[in-house]
Amino acid sequence: MPSEGPVELPDVDPSGEALASLQQLTDPALAYMPQEELLGTLLRRASAILRSDTAAILLLDETGRQLRARAAKGIEEEVEQGVTNPLGKGFAGRIAAERRPIVVDDVDHADILNPILREKGIRSLLGVPLIVEGRVLGVLHVGSLTPRRFTPAESDLLQAAADRAALAIDNAALYEQRRLAETLQRELLPDLRVVPGLDLASRYLPASHDTLGGDWFDAFPLPRGRVAVAVGDVVGHGVAAAAAMSQLRSALRAYAADGHSAAEVVERMNQLMWQLGPRAMTTLSYAVIDLETETVEHVCAGHPPPLRIAGGDAEFLDVAPNVPLAVVPAVRFEATVHDCPAGATLLLYTDGLVERRGETIDAGLERLRAAAAAEVAGLDGLCERVVAALVPDQRGDDVAMIAARVPAPPAQISGRWPADRVVLAEIRQLMRRWLRRCGASEDEAYDIVVAAQEACANAVEHAYGLGPQSFELEGSYERGRVRLAVRDEGSWRPPRGLHRGRGLVLMRRLMDEVTVERGEMGTLVVMERMLAQSEGEA
Amino acid sequence: MTSLARLVVEEHGEIPVVAIEGEIDASNATELRRAIGAAATNRVAALVVDLTAVDYVDSAGINLLFALGAELRDRQQRLHIAVDGASPVARMLEISGLAAVEQTEPTRSAALASAATGE
Repeated sequence: MPSEGPVELPDVDPSGEALASLQQLTDPALAYMPQEELLGTLLRRASAILRSDTAAILLLDETGRQLRARAAKGIEEEVEQGVTNPLGKGFAGRIAAERRPIVVDDVDHADILNPILREKGIRSLLGVPLIVEGRVLGVLHVGSLTPRRFTPAESDLLQAAADRAALAIDNAALYEQRRLAETLQRELLPDLRVVPGLDLASRYLPASHDTLGGDWFDAFPLPRGRVAVAVGDVVGHGVAAAAAMSQLRSALRAYAADGHSAAEVVERMNQLMWQLGPRAMTTLSYAVIDLETETVEHVCAGHPPPLRIAGGDAEFLDVAPNVPLAVVPAVRFEATVHDCPAGATLLLYTDGLVERRGETIDAGLERLRAAAAAEVAGLDGLCERVVAALVPDQRGDDVAMIAARVPAPPAQISGRWPADRVVLAEIRQLMRRWLRRCGASEDEAYDIVVAAQEACANAVEHAYGLGPQSFELEGSYERGRVRLAVRDEGSWRPPRGLHRGRGLVLMRRLMDEVTVERGEMGTLVVMERMLAQSEGEA
Repeated sequence: MTSLARLVVEEHGEIPVVAIEGEIDASNATELRRAIGAAATNRVAALVVDLTAVDYVDSAGINLLFALGAELRDRQQRLHIAVDGASPVARMLEISGLAAVEQTEPTRSAALASAATGE
């Protein structure tokens, strides 16, 4: 550790100028400088303190065996040519290896590896190691173009400057690494707002802010009113684990989008990892929630089981155990199907949540169950309480968790949607759940959904070009009668092309009554249909 | 490819079978139309479109099938549609009038057999 107290200044600079310069090296502004700028600033200040002609900073590379010139003054070629210096060899290499200042009075008679120093006409050199908490980061050296005898006092002064510089360099590197880690992790976490039909909340708590973790969670929509929710854990930490995690996340999404069953998706991921890598042991909890049947299909690959919370009670799903990924090739994975009724919440999490040193995982699971069971308003509240009850401030492992709740089917539909065809699927799913609640049969629900979609698709068409960018859909149910209203602000456009206009025909056939009002202010389509079995509100 | 539907093309001799799984709506009909068109090259005698794994179709899908049928007829090729008669999809083909214009069969193999005999 560099001393925090006043530095014993030699009497080279009685004016106090050196002291002022030295203090500049602890300038708080240095903490926020990009590394390149920081090194340049440190160099100029160090050179000013010693009134030297040249100065350079060399830092150890990631192998720890090579010093590389990172900043230079008066000998800029060092940096431009990427001069390296092996640890232990030459002037800088010996300073770093021996962790002590070295003075060279006469360059011509010294062991100097770097030809640039001679070519620039440097006659004398003084170099000191950059050390932080016992770790050598590199070397700072200054040079004189005229013969100069650097005194022990000057050497001490430069070492004091180097100690402060080293601290600033280390902080900057740490800050840079942390920023990179956070950016990468943030980029890899999904945007849960784009998943329709399901309430979601999540937490990602890295073990430390300085390293990347291999935990991830994900949620994305699948065809036919289903939503995939996943939590995975690549064993290990650092860039390799994070890179593997990002690959697996993409593979999972790709296989799921291809229409494979939950078990097939996991089997393919396992096979992919065997054939092409990453060959990194990974546990995975993969759930496909069907919003229409209110069930969840789950595949557990060496992962703790999901928790289902409903009606103030919480229980772990009785999942089929499977091996983790990338452990056995060509293995079959077994899926299980469970009820996931409206209002129930599924909690998927990584083992960092439930594992504590010196304790069995069962104790952690029970703590999670107890914390999650009590009634809580929102999913965010649930996540908050679970984290508060289970996650210590100082943790050895990452924690990732995602909570998914199947919302109660709406009693009515009332909303405004962007005029984009991609919202049609979301509207279908919402309407199916609403119509089931109204007591519509499968066929009735299908007919009414198609009629609504035709009207919505029309509204979307109206918006193409310069029309309005959204439309309204209202659905209500009273005394056995379903009423739909679709309103947009676009002007009516006569059907174009051979196959246009068929939507209106379908609407009239599928519903009892259809009225289309086309006015200056837009188009309003109102449709009604009586349900055969109107037990819902008899 | 859209995540709503998945399209699998199989060759059965001269007759390609295009099986659609999932949902067809205004958001993916154009894309599906293009993909089906790629399977129906000039040299095929007939095309089977298997809708038995389709869960949802509205006028966007019906329009696609009308247009596909018309185009194939112009090229003297035949369209055969496999659709489960008890499904809502079959009902859509009925009430839209498509079933009156195009040949429908209850299964893929029946559609293939009818396509092969050139009926």
